[in-house]
Amino acid sequence: MSEWLIDGVETDLDAFHLGPVDLSLRSGQAVAVLGSSGAGKTTFLRTLAGFLPLRGGRLLRDGVDISDWLPEERALGYVPQGLGLFPQRTVFGNVRYPMELRGRLDANSRTEDLLARFRLTALKHRHPARLSGGEQQRVALARALAAEPELIVWDEPWQALDVEARRELGLVLTELRGEEGIPVVVVTHDPGLAFSVADSFVVLDRGRVGLKGSALDLLERPSNAFVARFVGYENVYDRAALEAGRDHPFTAWLLAASGSEGVAVGTPLAVPTIGVPSTWEGVVRSARPNPEGVRVEVAVDDLMVALRLPRPWPTNLPAVGDRLRFNVDTESVHSLGAGARSAR
Amino acid sequence: MNAVAPTVRRSRRWKTGPFWVALQVALSGSLLLLFLLPIFALFTYAPVSRIVAAAGNVEVREAIWVTLYASGIAVLASALLAIPLGYLLARKRFFGRAIIESVVGLPVVVPHLMVGLGLFLLVLPGSPLYSFTNAIGFPVYDTIWGVVLVMAVVSAPYTVLASQLSFEAVDGRVLESARSLGAGPGTTFLTVTLPVALRGIVAGLLLTWARAVSEIGGILILAYAIYPGGPYNGPVTSTISVYIYNLFQQGDLADAAAVSSLFLLIAFALFLAVRVGERTGWLPWRRGDLTP
Repeated sequence: MSEWLIDGVETDLDAFHLGPVDLSLRSGQAVAVLGSSGAGKTTFLRTLAGFLPLRGGRLLRDGVDISDWLPEERALGYVPQGLGLFPQRTVFGNVRYPMELRGRLDANSRTEDLLARFRLTALKHRHPARLSGGEQQRVALARALAAEPELIVWDEPWQALDVEARRELGLVLTELRGEEGIPVVVVTHDPGLAFSVADSFVVLDRGRVGLKGSALDLLERPSNAFVARFVGYENVYDRAALEAGRDHPFTAWLLAASGSEGVAVGTPLAVPTIGVPSTWEGVVRSARPNPEGVRVEVAVDDLMVALRLPRPWPTNLPAVGDRLRFNVDTESVHSLGAGARSAR
Repeated sequence: MNAVAPTVRRSRRWKTGPFWVALQVALSGSLLLLFLLPIFALFTYAPVSRIVAAAGNVEVREAIWVTLYASGIAVLASALLAIPLGYLLARKRFFGRAIIESVVGLPVVVPHLMVGLGLFLLVLPGSPLYSFTNAIGFPVYDTIWGVVLVMAVVSAPYTVLASQLSFEAVDGRVLESARSLGAGPGTTFLTVTLPVALRGIVAGLLLTWARAVSEIGGILILAYAIYPGGPYNGPVTSTISVYIYNLFQQGDLADAAAVSSLFLLIAFALFLAVRVGERTGWLPWRRGDLTP
């Protein structure tokens, strides 16, 4: 399988500028491209696929510069948002299409193999409009593989899928990387699946690479509020909100740790009433049991703070209006925006 | 029980009231009546025996044949010339696009006598185009080619508009998928764009055909009578619309109604065949297949 090097790639789409983006992909590696709406994720994928001209940088496949190659020459399985299935063709016709283009004599048998692999044999005479979201995803993937791509580039693979279909697609993508060694680039909004599928992440922010690294890098240095929320920080505060409440001690303490955009705080543990010293106290607004214990939301000053009560579950859940005390581990406090750093 | 309650409320809220149903039926019914009453009048005025006799009349058959033949060529010409223009207007942004769109709409909005007059002046004996069309074997004045020319000019805009709309409706992401799977631009057009847009284009061609068949204004001026020449070698005849107009002018209302009824049956059968073809799979698509 190929190795890909995305070297300072830049492009323009109307007034939007993307890049420079640097990224390297080994065989079997999966990269998730994250970012809020308008960050340039789809633009990046379309640039890789050859639909937008490069304004700078280059794209190398196994050391060969393919920056000027046409989309059909790139051996890159691009699955756009909405999947781009051919509405006039059946499932069979969709999957067979890339092999028809190549004039493969074994097109029919290989199509049957792919349909069987993706559990589509029973649906092969149906048109895409008559399939469920999960079935359409499987057709898109089978069709992309039929073209024997050297890289799969997928825009929002989990869009509009139910929980079970998402889990299944995650398994299929993991299998692709493992067994076939095809590198994968996915754009996604879904953190759970991004973490289950990807081993490295690129965060785009207004066309620029905000952060690049592993899941741990993202957790240790969530560069902005989007990333912080994406990786699972429940307590993310905007700097403006902190400044408005700086007269309160807890808010002032967070403000001191805040970067230009604000601060993210890992979910603190609520401490027992007796025996353990605590720094802060809040008034319970809600309490919801979950498999790990109880998630409690408390109001401190004018801020809401999510806390965790570890298992075993208490006989009585904290009631609204109760007071709960907690400590904040300084290592779990991360400043966001320019000058971002951990509080430790 | 609790789970059932909202469903009941919801269905009641979304149920159309009897007043609205009655209004819909009344309005739609009135329109259908407007379509059907003249047809009813035609069929009741002409006894069945006259319609059967018209079907056996050589002159009538000749006129119907010439009309179908000329309109068929006009539709083919539209497919050849109008679909590319529709594609151009749908996919390309260029200076003067709005002007071209307006020019395409012109033959639809102006009285067709004006179109006929314009064409007549263009191929007036002695004009360069008169000599040219004669020299290449396509004389248009009072020939089947004249009929084809008028029909194509007044009806091709429907193919342009339908194909433009159909090409615009093809999702660009579907085309990008095809490119990424290995298809060049030409192959993508032939294997994806055209098949996806086909249903709308065929609908446009059907409209084009219908408009061509029903044309009379321009034909009255350019090819009132059709003399043998080109692909037509029968006796002097006219299109069915001109033929019926002549019967009416002569005061032969019964025959005019009989021939009209006969032609209505043929046109209805053709449209019905297309609709049935769509539903039964005889045509390469079914209703709903092309809607994501």
